[in-house]
Amino acid sequence: MVTITINGKSVEAAEGATVLQAARSVGVEIPALCYHPAVEPYAACRLCLVEVTADNRTRVVTSCNYTVRDGLAVETDTERIHRLRRGLLELYLAQAPGSDVIRELAAQYGIVQTRFQIRGDDDEKCILCGLCERVCRELMGKGGISFAFRGTERTVTTPFAEPLTDCLGCGACAFVCPTGAVVERRSRETVELDAWGAEVPMARCSVCGQAFAPAAGIEYAANKLGIDAEELCVCAGCRRLLHSRALGKSGGHRRCPGE
Amino acid sequence: MPGTRIETLPQLAALQHDLQRARSRWTRTVLICGGTGCRAAGSAELGPVFEREIANAGLGEQVNVRYTGCHGFCERGALVVIAPERVWYQGVRLEDVSEIVSETLLHDRPVDRLLYREPMTGETKVLERDVGFYARQMRVALRYNGEVDPADIEDYLSLGGYGALAHVFEAMTPEQVIEEIKRSGLRGRGGGGFPTGRKWETCRDAQGHLKYVVCNGDEGDPGAFMDRSILEGNPHGVLEGMLIGSYAIGASQGFVYVRYEYPLALENTARAMDQAREYGLLGDNILGSGHSFDVEIVRGGGAFVCGESTALMASIEGGVGEPRSKYVHTVESGLWERPTNLNNVETWANVPVIIERGADWFASVGTESSKGTKVFSVVGKVKNTGLVEVPMGMTLHELVYDVCGGVAGDRELKAIQTGGPSGGCIPAELLHLPIDYEHLTEAGSMMGSGGMIVMDDRTCMVELARYFTSFLADESCGKCTPCREGLHQMLQVLNGITQGRGKDGDIELLEDLAELLTWGALCGLGTTAANPVLSTLRYFRPEYDAHIHEKKCPAGVCRELVTYRVDPEACTGCHLCARNCPEDAIKGEPKKPHEILTDRCVKCGICFGVCKFDAVIVE
Amino acid sequence: MQGQERQETDADTDIALLAERYGGARGLLSILQDIQAEYNYLPRPLLGKVAAELELDLSHIYRLATFFKALSVKPRGKHLIRVCLGTACYLRGGPQLVESIRHAIGVRPGETTSDTLFTLETVNCLGACALAPVLMVDDRYYRQVTPDRVGRILDAYREGVSDSNAGD
Repeated sequence: MVTITINGKSVEAAEGATVLQAARSVGVEIPALCYHPAVEPYAACRLCLVEVTADNRTRVVTSCNYTVRDGLAVETDTERIHRLRRGLLELYLAQAPGSDVIRELAAQYGIVQTRFQIRGDDDEKCILCGLCERVCRELMGKGGISFAFRGTERTVTTPFAEPLTDCLGCGACAFVCPTGAVVERRSRETVELDAWGAEVPMARCSVCGQAFAPAAGIEYAANKLGIDAEELCVCAGCRRLLHSRALGKSGGHRRCPGE
Repeated sequence: MPGTRIETLPQLAALQHDLQRARSRWTRTVLICGGTGCRAAGSAELGPVFEREIANAGLGEQVNVRYTGCHGFCERGALVVIAPERVWYQGVRLEDVSEIVSETLLHDRPVDRLLYREPMTGETKVLERDVGFYARQMRVALRYNGEVDPADIEDYLSLGGYGALAHVFEAMTPEQVIEEIKRSGLRGRGGGGFPTGRKWETCRDAQGHLKYVVCNGDEGDPGAFMDRSILEGNPHGVLEGMLIGSYAIGASQGFVYVRYEYPLALENTARAMDQAREYGLLGDNILGSGHSFDVEIVRGGGAFVCGESTALMASIEGGVGEPRSKYVHTVESGLWERPTNLNNVETWANVPVIIERGADWFASVGTESSKGTKVFSVVGKVKNTGLVEVPMGMTLHELVYDVCGGVAGDRELKAIQTGGPSGGCIPAELLHLPIDYEHLTEAGSMMGSGGMIVMDDRTCMVELARYFTSFLADESCGKCTPCREGLHQMLQVLNGITQGRGKDGDIELLEDLAELLTWGALCGLGTTAANPVLSTLRYFRPEYDAHIHEKKCPAGVCRELVTYRVDPEACTGCHLCARNCPEDAIKGEPKKPHEILTDRCVKCGICFGVCKFDAVIVE
Repeated sequence: MQGQERQETDADTDIALLAERYGGARGLLSILQDIQAEYNYLPRPLLGKVAAELELDLSHIYRLATFFKALSVKPRGKHLIRVCLGTACYLRGGPQLVESIRHAIGVRPGETTSDTLFTLETVNCLGACALAPVLMVDDRYYRQVTPDRVGRILDAYREGVSDSNAGD
């Protein structure tokens, strides 16, 4: 453990933890839209900037990827930090005018409208945080989408901006999107992710016939596990029933794999 | 050419000695500049013709013809220097060759029309050392650029090349090498100015036994071509520097990252590496020292941001040139998370010279804080444009006027942009400043890689800031918001100001964006991106005010704020302007005063540029 | 255009060779540049083969292909005109050359002529700053180009003549 101070208060932090993690562990709020504990920090949104002082030297750093060390003094709400956050939020309002999340966060800092030229469409919500492409690649190992182009042409897209035909339908991208730019729609037949032009058919449970999970996802998981897709093609309810029967109990409380 | 693998230090010394003797048997040598600039002037065709004429004149045994790397005075190409006297000829064409042979080589007479003329006095100069452009230079990193054939390792060896490496192997431990570089005071020449010896030391001390050295040849500053010339003209000098560095640090592998826009530099560096390998100067157990080192070229893909060290390393690893935070330095964790020492081309080129001539010698040149020399590319509105290498501490005034002949057309100097798009402008009243890292930074600019753009009274400083901002916005990788969105918005404001739509509050917006960039951006591109705007605001605020409040461009540049018209008194009716106008906006009959149709005129300035009678007025 | 008519059957061997030459996946940029040099752009089917050979996601290939200015996923003209807009060239008339070219062949930066003979691009610095303004057509540099020379330079390519003194 190391000892740091956050806004003047002494805090014990795990070695190797980031300032953001240490702050959150003691309930200190630092906005951080491109951060998610499931993937590596990216430090792109810059909202998590804080002032840190070590060896008599003060710097402004992103807290999501700055490692704590003994004696570090962190300030999360200085004048400068608030000015930077406000400036960033004004830029985000111009980039993604359609995002309620941005609008609410900006309002928290007293920003109701931006002085900058609006560059996004009225309904634009994407702030290019990259979480969607990071979970697809780092977490799911699929890599179906990625950043493309650079500068203000930068976007997250499918190869050649064509509909993604081999999307897994896992929905992780929609789950982590901080502004609701990526949305998943499930019906009985399909999982749809409009952002990627993906329409993934649902597989039906081989026991009860109900549609329960995207077929491509099942294939993918089976492949990774080195088993037959058939084995996975059983919905959760049916699997519980099968297990309890195998154990000679009906509807027992025993935990079964996959639950 | 048949290679002989050199296995030991005595073998190297013997070969150097033999080659040096062979070189000295030539009575004269015709040195033709083979750099990119002179090639564009046809220098590649001169060699065979010289050889033929020399043979015809019966001088084949006495006179050698050799191509060298860029001499630096590119606008005067093709350049030919006759050694050993170093008679200096400019603008040499095919039709001049026979006269050079018959007059200079056969009869020791200079060919007058090919000589340099002093811009101030018109006086001709025969010898290179008297040519104003070269007279005050101190060529260290560029020492072999007008001398050695970069395509021939034996030429480099004949001058004692790889002798510094041999000395290191023979008489110095890695720690001693680091001490020597530290003592010399060498600082990074790519722009950072970080003490090189200290960087090497930290890398040497870092954890892990697999380490890398990298040469940053991604010179992207528009207006800078120092590294291009060094890699084209003296690739072995760079390799030797990297070899010495690899020994000091304990690295066995290196990378040279070169922009793809530099095909000749890529070709010459690759060839040098192949030859070095053939001669046993790259590979295992070099010269029997026990040290092994090899190196690979990596070609850039057209991204200025790849000049940033972490982006460059990401590119070497096979990814896009996106930087990462540098809270852990690359000397500790760089390529594939291993300790990596990255230095600029010019920095590496200085290393063998420091070892050869000693740290004390190097430290005796320059200023207290900035030792040695620096290569600058002085371009823009200056009489002698090109590459110059001068001791640190020379004043800006001396550089522009004494070395480079003063402002083109004898117009008034307005400012000098230093440090490329990450730098700023130094106004005319600060020309007395000595050129070193600290003085340039204090003035609101920076040394950067060494680009110096000279500007006269016809340069609009607001438009210049807009130009640099546009460049950076185009090159931004787009990862972080302050740079991607901030530069875009900055450009919108500057576009507005230069197009006559400036309004109250614009300057404050620019200053707010500048703060966001400087404190909030992820990498050096972003954190320095506001410098062009900040420095022009600092020194040329009245120009901004004129654009915003009076809708006027004092320098007569910004199209929306000026009008073009023809002065009927001066116009001769030659029709040249009309012929070149891309909008067919000029009307007139032959030999009668012409007229510009203002509703069709897009103020491109072409007519102003082609008119030989100063008949186009811009106001 | 010769490049676009090449058969792709020999592409498999080419890619494996390229991968060998450039150290596998980390040499992706160089591999793509070599393909670009042969075909004048990056044909989509070849990118799929590169992904397969290097065991990389197609999305990663696409990311690189769109990040670097040296690469193009769209077919380019037979001759690539690059006008330098580095600072020295910018101050000495580079933008005027862009206008002159528009006057001569009707395209703006990023566009290709309808006869697919020329593609025009601007570059941020070619490193020949002392010769400003500079433009390149394919591998050839043209120095201190004035607007009135632009037409002559381009005509030489239209006539199929690559004369080193064209436009001098």
